[in-house]
Amino acid sequence: MSTDDAFAEAYRAHYWAVSRFVARRLDAPAHEVEEVVAEVFSIAWRRRTELPDTPLPWLYGVARNCLANTVRGLGRYRRLLHRLGNHEAAHGRQTVDSPDTERPGSWVHEALARLSAADQEVLRLTTWEELTVEELAVALGCGRSAAAMRLHRARRRLRAEIDRTRTTVSVRAGGDAHE
Amino acid sequence: MSDELELLRAANPVPAGEGPWRDRPLDATAERGLNRLLHGTRTRRARRRLVLRAEAAVLALVGVLAFTLSDAGSSPAVAAPAALVPHAGTAPVSLAELARRAQATARTAGPGDGPRRGSHLQSWYLSMQTGPDAASPVTVPEERITRWNADGSGSELVVATDPRHPGRPVIHDDNGRWTTVGDGEVLHRKTYPPGSGDGHRGLAARTKPPTDPAALRALLASLYGSGDTEHTASTTPQLLLALSSFRQEWTPGPRETAAIVRMLADTGGLRPAGAVTDRLGRRGQAYVHDGPDGGMNATRQMVILDPRTGQLLGTEITFTKDLPDFRITAGEVLSYEAWMP
Repeated sequence: MSTDDAFAEAYRAHYWAVSRFVARRLDAPAHEVEEVVAEVFSIAWRRRTELPDTPLPWLYGVARNCLANTVRGLGRYRRLLHRLGNHEAAHGRQTVDSPDTERPGSWVHEALARLSAADQEVLRLTTWEELTVEELAVALGCGRSAAAMRLHRARRRLRAEIDRTRTTVSVRAGGDAHE
Repeated sequence: MSDELELLRAANPVPAGEGPWRDRPLDATAERGLNRLLHGTRTRRARRRLVLRAEAAVLALVGVLAFTLSDAGSSPAVAAPAALVPHAGTAPVSLAELARRAQATARTAGPGDGPRRGSHLQSWYLSMQTGPDAASPVTVPEERITRWNADGSGSELVVATDPRHPGRPVIHDDNGRWTTVGDGEVLHRKTYPPGSGDGHRGLAARTKPPTDPAALRALLASLYGSGDTEHTASTTPQLLLALSSFRQEWTPGPRETAAIVRMLADTGGLRPAGAVTDRLGRRGQAYVHDGPDGGMNATRQMVILDPRTGQLLGTEITFTKDLPDFRITAGEVLSYEAWMP
């Protein structure tokens, strides 16, 4: 298979996964998400000779850098929103209201948002992108053991934030936050 | 108490199985993006400039323009199609009248005339081949056929059409076996075994197209709009773009067609422009939007409908202004799509 064919196959297989990766991290309307995804694949295209056999974690790595540039290019307000990780503003946009509009996960997002950007990214890649530690290492551009360590530490800090949030929320809401 | 990773996993704001970014075959915008990469090159700086300008722009239009503008240094495509011109002296049919005709056709439709998942189209998008391997920039229309069956099996075939026979369909469905004619180069061919459709059954595929115009419009806005329905999904160019993406997923039956024509009539943004012969030699009625396009206001959108049934035959976007810096002359075609049953 030629490099171009391999790229086309990776594009077709992972276009939506990369779109989700961007949509999860960019508080922007759909057309801006598409613009960033186009940019991701444009950069991936220029680097297509580096495309590994399992391209998705590598594409996530390209997307991370691309997103960082994009976020830097957005206005101060946007950057602030992004740093706050406000998924409500970003993701309430496409969906028709439904009985589950009330997002049960929002307090988890709050806990996540209080972590450092690096911790957040490790945790998002592991849970939302469902990467293994090996894949995490590729996406983060570090070694496997470094990735495992970063995940371990981030998990511990998330655990602490969740416990703190749940205590606060349950006191505020009369314990409704407990499962 | 749940594991913290499980909690976070459950709080995934953009799951893979639903919403606008769910897993499914590429939509028209994504296909365009791939096509641009495979058949052209871009400069990042030009693209970035456009991204900044594109804040409120129509998404695919801007995507295409971004490519166009970024290749400003290259020669224009030699195989660019000529814009369709409405026949002189033909009486235009109003969209309201055509909506009535489509409704009448829908009333005679049987239970088997429902919508079918999948589509068959010929398309062309302004594209230029550059780089060391491309001596002469050439753009060839491509034809795409996608089918999904009730058992979850499906197939996709993309063929570059034979440039010696412009306007001729190159894929023939021979009782479920597709054959290509001429020397149409197969760009992509994939067959999905029964059951594999689940992986491609996103919201658009699961949602049977409504036969109510308002419901259809709401669906298009939720599936393909930017979510800011007040400002973007409600514009005619945005709606036509959404319709194009939708049409790639579904081949509508007479009832859905009636809803499409009524929806277009209700937008009020399209004026009848008379009869045209489309690129597959079919007689159609053209309806044109030449108002703001949400981007550089340099384009005209045309939709072509069958004058008897209202069936969506195709779309065309042409430039309405010279863009001398980019060697674009008013009247040149930016893209066309011709849909087949």
